[in-house]
Amino acid sequence: MNRVAIPKREWDERLIHLLSSFDVFAPVENEFSSDYLKLDEEAISHIVYNKPKPVTPLKNFFLPVKENVTIEGIPTKPVAIIGTPNCDVMALLFLDQIYLDNEYPDPAYGKRRENSTLLSTDCLSIQEHCHCTSYGIEPKGNESSDISLALIEDQVILSVFSKKGEKFIEAMGIYVTLTPEKSLLDRLHELQENVKEQLLERNKGLPDYKQTGKLVSTAADPIWEKYASDCVSCGACSAICPTCSCFLLIDKPGFEKIRQLDTCQYPGFERVAGGEDALHALSERFRNRYMCKYVWKPQKYEQKACTGCGRCIETCIGQINKNELFIELSN
Amino acid sequence: MKTNGNLYKPLKSELIKVIDESPLIKTFVLVPEQDFSFATGQFIEVTIDGMGEAPFTPSSSPLKSDQLEVTVMKTGYVTDHMHTMKPGDKMGIRGPFGRGYPLENFHDKEVLILGGGCGFAPIRSLLYNLIAIADKLRKVTLCYGSKTPEDCVYKPYIQELRDTPKFEVLRSVDQPDENWTERVGVVTVLLDEVTMDISNSIAVVCGPPVMMKFGTLRLLEMGYPENDIYLSMEKNMSCGLGKCGHCMMGKYLVCKDGPVFTYDEVKDQPHIWN
Repeated sequence: MNRVAIPKREWDERLIHLLSSFDVFAPVENEFSSDYLKLDEEAISHIVYNKPKPVTPLKNFFLPVKENVTIEGIPTKPVAIIGTPNCDVMALLFLDQIYLDNEYPDPAYGKRRENSTLLSTDCLSIQEHCHCTSYGIEPKGNESSDISLALIEDQVILSVFSKKGEKFIEAMGIYVTLTPEKSLLDRLHELQENVKEQLLERNKGLPDYKQTGKLVSTAADPIWEKYASDCVSCGACSAICPTCSCFLLIDKPGFEKIRQLDTCQYPGFERVAGGEDALHALSERFRNRYMCKYVWKPQKYEQKACTGCGRCIETCIGQINKNELFIELSN
Repeated sequence: MKTNGNLYKPLKSELIKVIDESPLIKTFVLVPEQDFSFATGQFIEVTIDGMGEAPFTPSSSPLKSDQLEVTVMKTGYVTDHMHTMKPGDKMGIRGPFGRGYPLENFHDKEVLILGGGCGFAPIRSLLYNLIAIADKLRKVTLCYGSKTPEDCVYKPYIQELRDTPKFEVLRSVDQPDENWTERVGVVTVLLDEVTMDISNSIAVVCGPPVMMKFGTLRLLEMGYPENDIYLSMEKNMSCGLGKCGHCMMGKYLVCKDGPVFTYDEVKDQPHIWN
């Protein structure tokens, strides 16, 4: 791993230069929070660094909400995504297992993955519902991304993990000899540890990922019915979830097919032609999502299908808080 | 697998013949633009242009690759439309998908097949294959049930099977007419008549969920081990690629991990009979 540090002003200038060869996305502050924006020269100075998750999960870069999967035409211009939190990068590794499996690697997903350089961010603050550490995920960039990035004391520190990361650094014209001062790295480490402590402290009553599967699979019907009574099957929790990736194929004339993201929270998701529907009842659909994330997917993929980003809690119009559910289950 | 170069793009196929099997069931004979082969028990997705797609296990011989047949019950949006289609029309096919019957496990065994209604479709494909390897099998007993004599499919084929050495066919209907001479009752009544060397036998079950459930329970009662009962599971297989999630059955994606499972593999998974 190479580590370099450059002054923020120089980083901004180099980013401007990079826009001609890369499509660059980064979180930019908006009215409510921050979200990814395709950068132009003006937007570069508004990039938000080191904050937890943008509103949109990282999956949307690789699995658009709706796309025609029977026609070719994935853009080939390289893409750089700056500011991806580790929870989302871990979620993407999970999606890789589904979309880049050995038997049927998905061409569009694969091409986008290949074409993208991920610059993960160290989260140096927390949001109300962040709980990645409860599920064994650290709130800082690591080798699962191509580069991790932190901005402190007006210095951009880049840790380069992959060949793709090296190419990006090269394209930016940054010299790898610009090693950061030890004091700067110590300060970064201190901030990282501090955030981790804050997360552990805030979520100390929350069952960890080793317990969630058992809690979900042994929970009795009444608790699902209780929490599902506030659910309206809107599917927002799945839409915003970085690991939910079920889809519907919609046929169009000319034997074309549109892939549209779908969710088991919608009625009819499992209905077969004869009318049988194991998930007819709303409480069954509600329970299904938890079984999928905490029991079945971990059994199948041996990887966490919830990364503790907390988006589902923030987005729910019924104000269902899955962490409250887990705490109730554990009591 | 054959995917026509794109996992989602169907291979165009011409409908050359439509066979009326029963008032609600038709067999469609398709000639794909390119040779198309499958293993018995695997399924395909059939696309009706601009309308939709549905999964079917071919009912024709897996040993033929120039044409294939699907036997379809009129039971929903896509199948209703299929039943209006005529020779010359085009359909699309994708696949084949999933895991079929592990025929090597059938060698030197007595094979008991329990089928109901349109569940005979995958079974017919299996039977074509079993006939081809009959010298490796001890015997094959087919127990097939349908609602009425009119609902019995593949009538000419039944006679052909009965004339084949090592193969026997037992049939039952729930509601007989005056000409019916075989058993009356749900398909499991036929199991009272079969004489199988269970310790040297495997069983295959395919049919509507309720029949699968009671058929499997009866086989277990008879002493069949859980890992010698093969079930062809019916779920909402949509993409066929183990990605869309619609056919999730606990830790399995039926389209990729199945559709053929042993009872032992699925018994602890949720919603296996609906």
